[in-house]
Amino acid sequence: MSVLRRSWLHWALGLGLGGVFLYAAWGKVLDPRPLVTIIWGYRILPAGPINLLAIYMPWLELFVGACLATGILRRAAAFWATALLVMFEIALGVNALRGVNVACGCFSANAEETHNAWFLVLRDLPMLAAALAMLLFPPRRASGGGKSEESRVKS
Amino acid sequence: MRRLARDAAGILAAVLLLGTASNLAPGRHLAWWGKGHEPPAAGKDYQLVDPGSADSIRASLPHVVFLDTRADAEFARGHVPGARPISYTDLSAQLTRARLDALRAADAVVVYGASEETDVEQLLAQELRERGLAPPYVLVGGYPAWEGAGLPVEQGGPR
Repeated sequence: MSVLRRSWLHWALGLGLGGVFLYAAWGKVLDPRPLVTIIWGYRILPAGPINLLAIYMPWLELFVGACLATGILRRAAAFWATALLVMFEIALGVNALRGVNVACGCFSANAEETHNAWFLVLRDLPMLAAALAMLLFPPRRASGGGKSEESRVKS
Repeated sequence: MRRLARDAAGILAAVLLLGTASNLAPGRHLAWWGKGHEPPAAGKDYQLVDPGSADSIRASLPHVVFLDTRADAEFARGHVPGARPISYTDLSAQLTRARLDALRAADAVVVYGASEETDVEQLLAQELRERGLAPPYVLVGGYPAWEGAGLPVEQGGPR
C-alpha cells in the first residue's frame, strides 16, 4: 500500500480527477437552471430540494476540482469528491436497475444527452477509486521520517 | 481526523457562501425550493418542432408568436422576424396579464434559444402552459438551426 502514499501519485490523481471535476462544474456554475431538469429526470428526490442541489452542487464540484488540482486542502476535497461520486453512483445505479437511461448531467446539463446507465456507473468507478486513494492514504513527506502528513499533525 | 473535518467544513462553508451569492446575482435567480411539479414533458408541456415545420406554421397561421430566450445582444444580432425576447429568470415581471392574454390569443407560440440544448425553453414552455396556454412549440436546434436552415431573420431590438 506504500505506493498509494507517494506524493507524485497524489499529484497525478489530483490533477486528473480535479480536471474532470473542473470540466464538469464549469457549465453548470455559469447556468444551473438546466440542471434542475436533469436532477428531476433521475426521479429520486422530491421536488423541493432539487433547486438547492442545482444551486450548490456545481460550486462544490468547482471547489473540489480546484482543491484537488492545486493540492490545497486536497484530502478534504477528496472527502467531498468521494461523497459526490458515491451519490452519483447511487443515483445512476438506481436508474440502471430501473432500466432507465438518464441524462446524467455529468459534463453538461443537456437533458437530451442520454447514456446507458450501467456504462455511467462503470465510468465513475475509477474516479471513485482515485478519490478514495487520496482520502484514505494521505501522502508521506520525504522529510517526515516516513510519517504521513496527518500523523505528523497529530504528533 | 479533526483536521480533515475542519478542512471539509471549510470547503462546505465556501460552497454555501458562493452558491448563495451567485444565486442572488441579478439575472441568475433560481427559486430556492422546487415547486413540487413534474419536469417538462414532451406532448404535455411542449411540442418539439424543427425549423422547417416552424416556418410552415408561421406561414400558414395568421398569428404565431416567437419567444426568444437568448441574451439581448444575441437577439439584436439576429432573430426570427417578429420574435419577442423573454428571460426565463424573471418571468413573474415579464408575464403580465396583458402579455399572457396576448399569448393565449395567439394561434401558436414557438419558443427558441441559443443552442440545441432546449432545457430552458422546455421549462419556459411548461411555465406558459401552467398559465393557461396550449403547449407551446420548442424549436429543435434553437436559433442556430433556424438561421442555418436559411430561414428569414431580422436584426435589431424588439419592435
